[in-house]
Amino acid sequence: MDRGNEEAGISDPHARILDGSRILHAFDASLFAPGPARDGRFAVKERWIECSNFPVGHPEQVVQFLHRQMNEEVDSLESSARNLSDFPDEDWEVRMYLARQCADEARHARMFRRLFEKRGGTVGQYPVLNFQYRIITQFDSLAARLAIQNRSFEAGGLDAITVSIEQARKDGDFELAELYEAQIADEITHVRFANEWIRKLGEKNPANLLRIAQAMEIASKAFAAVMGKEGTEGVNYPADKQGRLEAGFTREEVEITANPMSHT
Amino acid sequence: MGLSVSDRGKAVATFRYVHVELMETLAQWTPTSPEMEVKLMLGEHIWDAAQNADALGKRTRELRLPLQHGLKPVDAYVHLLQEIRQERDTSRRLSGFYDAILPGLDARYHAYLEQTDALLDAPTVRILEQVRNTSARMIRQSRELRAELPTLGKIDYGWIEAMKKRESRIPTLVS
Repeated sequence: MDRGNEEAGISDPHARILDGSRILHAFDASLFAPGPARDGRFAVKERWIECSNFPVGHPEQVVQFLHRQMNEEVDSLESSARNLSDFPDEDWEVRMYLARQCADEARHARMFRRLFEKRGGTVGQYPVLNFQYRIITQFDSLAARLAIQNRSFEAGGLDAITVSIEQARKDGDFELAELYEAQIADEITHVRFANEWIRKLGEKNPANLLRIAQAMEIASKAFAAVMGKEGTEGVNYPADKQGRLEAGFTREEVEITANPMSHT
Repeated sequence: MGLSVSDRGKAVATFRYVHVELMETLAQWTPTSPEMEVKLMLGEHIWDAAQNADALGKRTRELRLPLQHGLKPVDAYVHLLQEIRQERDTSRRLSGFYDAILPGLDARYHAYLEQTDALLDAPTVRILEQVRNTSARMIRQSRELRAELPTLGKIDYGWIEAMKKRESRIPTLVS
């Protein structure tokens, strides 16, 4: 047991003490795949609470947020690339969409980098998380990966980006609003092809639907482990109905997302 | 005498196989290469390789083969591609791909264009001209990146020369 832990009375040998008080217990390894490679500029963390999470209004908040988004785009690129190299026998049409997604995510990372560097930020200035890649790539089914990466993470992003566009406009930050508008157009395309292909893969092999359900449950637990209460409390965006319809969700699915209490 | 429809179909299907392999190689390297700037370039080039493969794969149908048909190249070339794909060092990955494989392919496309009838096989000519333009841009971007990141410029010249020689000694890709 770590001597500091022993002194603090923590029995978990893999636990760590954060900020002298909060106890961070080890991750359940079964919820995550190994992470992607990062160069020496980056400090990679496992949990949201270990990152720089500046409040709105803090002078570094926007730059830190753009830096985080850059790394998340790199995670998406890496996950899409893994889908190409891990599933060589999938239909050529879906592989073309995945290849295009790689280029889009790479471009998004460059967009975020350009903006935060313009505003005084540097690559590696803040810690990063690679939870998306580590959650997505643990599954050996393309349908499950598309359901988590494109249909969950990216679809959730549509809602967040729509709110952020409005906020950036209100703040007079038109440069940022323009970036988000370009990003959301691409993300809609990614969610749309995933919706289309999840349906096709489900029809081709109904076992894929079961794989998706199982993967979603594990992904949900993993996401909660990364974010903790601190990273999710009070974070709730209204559904971008128009964006979700364009992205191939049915009206019924959009309504369920828009009114989370309606199906309880 | 020039190439028959069957010859053209086999050549195009082989080129298509190679571009799918190139796409998968870049995809495999993206999460495992540490340097962020390299990942971003590979991400863009995955799409370039996919578009090349797609255009060639549409042409196979026009040459009386199935749509998106791929033909495995000769063993020596398959082994060379596999060996480069298995490289773990970023500098070697980039030099193997952008200094040996892509220029070697360009020479092969040039040879094909010299050999084929530009009128009878005009659609293939257009596709290969486009592929060559794309490859030239990819090579240029890789050189710019390596100039920007000095650690990637530490090239093992003996190794890269050996790769280039191996590539050039394979007389044809079509098996």
